[in-house]
This record gives sequence, C-alpha cells and structure tokens, in this order.
Amino acid sequence: MDKKSKELIPPGLAYLADNIISKHNILGDSKGGGAKWAKDLKLFKKSETIFFAGCGYQYASDLESLSSLIRRMDKSVVGAELPMGIASFQKKLGVDLGGMYRKVMARGSDSDAQPLRDAVKVLSGFGIEFGYLAEDEPCCGALLHYVGLRKEFTSKARELHKKLKSLGVKRVISIVPSCTYTLRTLIPSCVEGYDIEVRHFLEVVVENIKSRELRFPREVKVTYHDPCQLARYLGLVEEPRQILKAIKGIELVEPEWTKGEWATCCGGGAGFEAVFPELSHIVAVNRTRELLETGAKVIVTHCPGCIMQLKSGLKELKVDDVEVVDLAQIVGMAM
Amino acid sequence: MSVFKDYKKELMEAAHSERISLALSRAIKSYRSNTNAALKKFPHTIKMAEEVREIKERAIGHMLELAEQASKAIEENKGKAYIAKTADDALNIFDRLVGKGKLIVKGKSMTAEEIGLREHLEERGNEVYETDLGEFIIQKLGSRPMHILSPAIHVPKEDVASLFSKITGQDVPADISILVATAKKLLREKYFKADIGISGANVVAADTGTLFLIENEGNIRLATGAPPVHIALVGMEKLVPTLGDAFKVAEVTWRYANYTVPSYVSLVSGPSKTGDIEKVTTYGAHGPGELHVVFMDAGRSDLARDPILRQALYCLRCGGCLYECPVFAVTAGHFGDKYFAGLGAVWAARLTGDLEKGASLAYTCLTCGRCKIRCPMKIDTPQMVIELRKWILEGDGEITPHS
Repeated sequence: MDKKSKELIPPGLAYLADNIISKHNILGDSKGGGAKWAKDLKLFKKSETIFFAGCGYQYASDLESLSSLIRRMDKSVVGAELPMGIASFQKKLGVDLGGMYRKVMARGSDSDAQPLRDAVKVLSGFGIEFGYLAEDEPCCGALLHYVGLRKEFTSKARELHKKLKSLGVKRVISIVPSCTYTLRTLIPSCVEGYDIEVRHFLEVVVENIKSRELRFPREVKVTYHDPCQLARYLGLVEEPRQILKAIKGIELVEPEWTKGEWATCCGGGAGFEAVFPELSHIVAVNRTRELLETGAKVIVTHCPGCIMQLKSGLKELKVDDVEVVDLAQIVGMAM
Repeated sequence: MSVFKDYKKELMEAAHSERISLALSRAIKSYRSNTNAALKKFPHTIKMAEEVREIKERAIGHMLELAEQASKAIEENKGKAYIAKTADDALNIFDRLVGKGKLIVKGKSMTAEEIGLREHLEERGNEVYETDLGEFIIQKLGSRPMHILSPAIHVPKEDVASLFSKITGQDVPADISILVATAKKLLREKYFKADIGISGANVVAADTGTLFLIENEGNIRLATGAPPVHIALVGMEKLVPTLGDAFKVAEVTWRYANYTVPSYVSLVSGPSKTGDIEKVTTYGAHGPGELHVVFMDAGRSDLARDPILRQALYCLRCGGCLYECPVFAVTAGHFGDKYFAGLGAVWAARLTGDLEKGASLAYTCLTCGRCKIRCPMKIDTPQMVIELRKWILEGDGEITPHS
C-alpha cells in the first residue's frame, strides 16, 4: 500500500488489509496456523473438488479476542486508531500478534472451528468426495476488495487462480459467505479464464437433504439470522430454511419483518468492526434484540462474522439461556 | 485523518443518543407499515419503478440535451431558464435575480442544501424563511437536516415546544397540533409579503418544461404561488424526456416515500397569466409574473460518465433506503453530509468535492445491501461505495471543485 492509501483508509482496516497482502491471511498469522482444525480428520489434499474453509472460522477466536480488545480501547479516550497503531508497530518488530492473542486470550479455540468439522462430517455423511488444501489454501482476499485496494485484490485473485489450477482444483465447496461470493463472483470479474465451479455448502446440503433422516437431539425453538452476503449477495434465502424445516425436533420462528433479504445486518461487514468497533457493537446488540423477540432459544446463522457479533450481543444483553449456533453444527448434530 | 477523527467523534455521540435511536425506531416502524400498505393498495408501482429505472438510465446520459430542451420549452412558456455549470454559477445566477434586502419564502430543496443557497442569500442581506415545518425547525435551531424528507426527524416535540416558546415569547405546550398551528401562524403573512418564492423540483419534463413539486403541507403551493417571483433550483439529474415519464417518476417517488398519494402535486410550466380581458395575454395574474428555472450540473455530467457511480443520479430522493440502513438507525444524518448514508458518500466525494468527508462516509457503510432491496431504482449502494473507495485510493479522475 502506498502512503496516500494508508492515509485515506481508516487505520483498523489498513492493518487487516496489510496482513492479507504480506502474510496471506487476515490476522497476519504464520503460514498454516489456521489449518490445525483438520489435522486429525484425514482429508485428502489432492482432489478435483475441494472444501474451502476460509479465514473466518479458522481464526474465529483470534478475531473475537482482537475485536473485543479493540472495542474496549475504542470506548476509552484514545480511540481505535491507537491499538491499531500499536498493532502495526508490533508487526514491524516481528511480533506475531494473532498468535499472541490466541495464546493469551483464546480459551478452547478448537471449538471455534467446530462448524468446519461439522461441515466436513455432513458432506462426508452425504457421500460427497472432496479434499482440503490445508496450509496450501489461499486467502480469498475479499477484504482487499472491500477496503478498495483494486490492484492488490486483482493480483491476489490471479495468484489464487494460478494456485488452484496448479493443484488441479476444478470445483470448490465453500462455506464462508464472503469467500464464496468472492470466489464465485468477484474473482471471475477480474481474472480471465477462471472456470472453477463454486458452490456454497448449503446448496450441496439442500440437494442431498432428502437422502437421509435428520433429527435434532432435542426439541428446540430456533430462529435464523440471514448473513448479508448469504441472503443478499448469494441469494441463499430459501436453502437454509428448507434445511432447518427438514430437521425433526426443530421449530423455526422468525422476526416478522427483518428476515430473508430484509434481515438486519449484524454490524460486522467489510471490516466495519475494525473501523467503528463500538458502533459495530451497537448494531450487533440491536440485531440480537430483534432475534430475541422471537422467543427462540437458539439463534442459528451461517457466517463466522455474524456468530461473533451475535454472541457479543447476547453477552451485552446478559442473556445466558440463548445460544448462537452455526447451521453446519445444527445439521451435524442432527445427522 | 483529522476529518475522519472529528467525524467519528460526532458519529459516536449520535450513536449514544437514546433520543435519536428512539425517534428513528418509531419512524422506521411507521415507514415500513405505511409503505407496505401503499404498495399493497397500488401494486402496479413495483412494475412502474422498473420502467422509471429505464427512463432514468436513458435520461442521465442526456442531461445537458434535456436541460436545453426544457429551457427552450420554459422560454416558450414565457419563463426564463438558465444552465449553471457549477455550484458557483448557480449562486451567481441567484445573486443577479435576487439582489439584496429581499424577503424570501422557500420550500425544502436538497439541491439548495447542497450548494448552501439559504446561507448564501442570507449573507447577502436577504431574509429567508424555510416554510417546510421540519426545515423551519432546523433553520431556527441552527442545525442541519438529518433526513432528506424529514429533516427534523431527530428532534422530539418537547424541543420544538421550547424553540417555539422562545420565538413567540409565549409558553407553547408540547402538543403537536398546537406546534403545527404556531408554525402556520408564524409563516402565514410571510408568503404574502415575500418578494420571491424559491423551490426545488422532484422531477422535470423536458418536452413541456414542467416542474413537478410534490408535498403534503401546502407550503410549496403558497411559496411558489403567492410571491410575485418564483425561482426554482433543479439538479440536472431530475430531468426526464416527457410529461408522461415525469408522471411515472412522481408516482413512484411518493409511493416509496410512504404515501399512497400526497396531498398536493403542483405542476409549474410558466408564469401566471390571463387572457380574460379582450384576449390580451397579461402575465402575473394571481400567481407570480416571473418564473426562473436554474438547471444545475455541478459535477453531475462528470459523474454520469462513471459506469458504476452514475447510479447515484438515478436516486428519486424518496428516502426509503435510510430507513433500512442499520447505521442510520442509530446515527441519523450524522452518517452523512449534504446527502446521507452510502449515497451521501458518493455525493460528498464526487459532487461537493469533499474527498476526506467522502472517504469517511464511504468506510461507514456496512455494505450490507438492505438499502438496495428497498430502493425503487435498485441502486446498488454497496457496489457504489466499494467502487468509490477504489476511486478514492487510486486518485484517478479529477475532483470536481465545489467552488
């Protein structure tokens, strides 16, 4: 990034974007640190169809710790510019900030990758064959696009395409909404000859849903929060509802107005939470409130960012008898 | 980054104001139910909106030609028309037409807000009254509008009561009907004493030169009907080819502004005239004897050349998007400049030439896209905002200076 860009991009975003450019993932983690969740799953690395895990779930606990820290700093007099300033200073010194936060603050970080483990279980359960690139999985680079770094995003997109091609990848099953939209729509618009077929996890699940009975371990009232990118960017509004309705034991209750393509954003989008951490939190609390009004005991959603935001909303509202669970986990538990 | 810091501070103060959240949550609720009811009663509006999008797409590519065509039509109707290339040109035209020491009554106009017309005229020794109730409150508070249709959306009735008590020197209770009556009384005589009435326009038909003025209060009818001179300021993006097109634009605009039908739509094509005595046409019968229309470009032609950002010019100003924005819901117009939310970012960066403010606003957009679902023109605001971020960082293209 040149000097001018750095001055016009709000500091929090510049930090995350820099990580993707120089360290190839959103947190500036050392290479491959995110692939640990799959270590004991014995997935093939080489396959024409791969499962694309993305940064979000893999780094969920790190991002959560980081954003709660930023938020606390943002509320104090110094403002969010300072912690981000510290972050880039530490990075210059070679301090692995992501790794540090993981060690210090993230307890039981394995559980954050549970949606990924469940997704793998679900796909395998349906008899679908796929591989996982593990430490070779490239970052989709979406944040660079959202920050507005056109050149950087395009070069990242070309790199990604080259890499997937060289590994013989023809089809991708992607799970993070933002990665899916990037791989399916944004990258083809700036890379010539991109012919990789990209499907979202939910599309694959819906196709196979009738092949076996799904029963949730208990009777439960759930509500569903549509992630912006899933509902409004990818148009996946009916699919998650079909899936939830197909699971015995689950009763779906929804907000009257703010559902489907009209769902309210959780407040975490395009790096917004890094620029306006406190405002992002206020929006998260508002959305959580809308969902709680349904009386559901489980808030189901399907995006690592939304999960983080809604969890922080519940915490703020001091609600401890409602939980946020990823849709992949729900299906996994019902299998 | 000092612009960003100041902006963020203001934004966060707004976000912590319970009054803003409360006022907005009520407004959002009633907007949604009113609009749903209006669309249910007149379901053809949705198809008509698609048609209007096509009309706007075509018209935006030919703004200058349409402005020339409309000017010719207005002159044939014995009005006067002007094409202002910049905001300064527009202000100069107003200076020539208005002069000094005049009493002016004004209808609400976002385009006037864009170029600071009221303040400009006041600085030159004119007395200007905003006549839209919300705008009148804002003017008297010395504040700025917080919503394009409901400028005083963030001001509760108690604050209006204390403001009106101060103005009248009497104790005005916080009763909405009394507050409305008080404003009516304060403004009534001004319409008839005024030298000039100023308005904007919601849409203009180029073939007949007809201005459409949509309102509910009746202040625009009075402000453009009672004084001897009517001057209108029109952004060139408001022009469409035919009278038929303009009717469609008008209907879609008010319906998405949550009305089945507004109380008043005035169509103005020329000065007031009569031929009732010996068939001799005489101007200035009951209405204004002079009509002046200023068509303003001020960066719009330049913006129209950008394949993505030109969508900003399709906006009908119905304000629907603002009710769907989760950030606007807690900050109101503090997430904005002359215009608000994502569209406000484009306007600030590209039309009023405030790059840093534009950048600050651009990064305040969540890009969540619910505004696009609401928008009758299906303006893809997230796409525009991201394109704007790219444009800002690349620094390609000249910034259109405001003055």
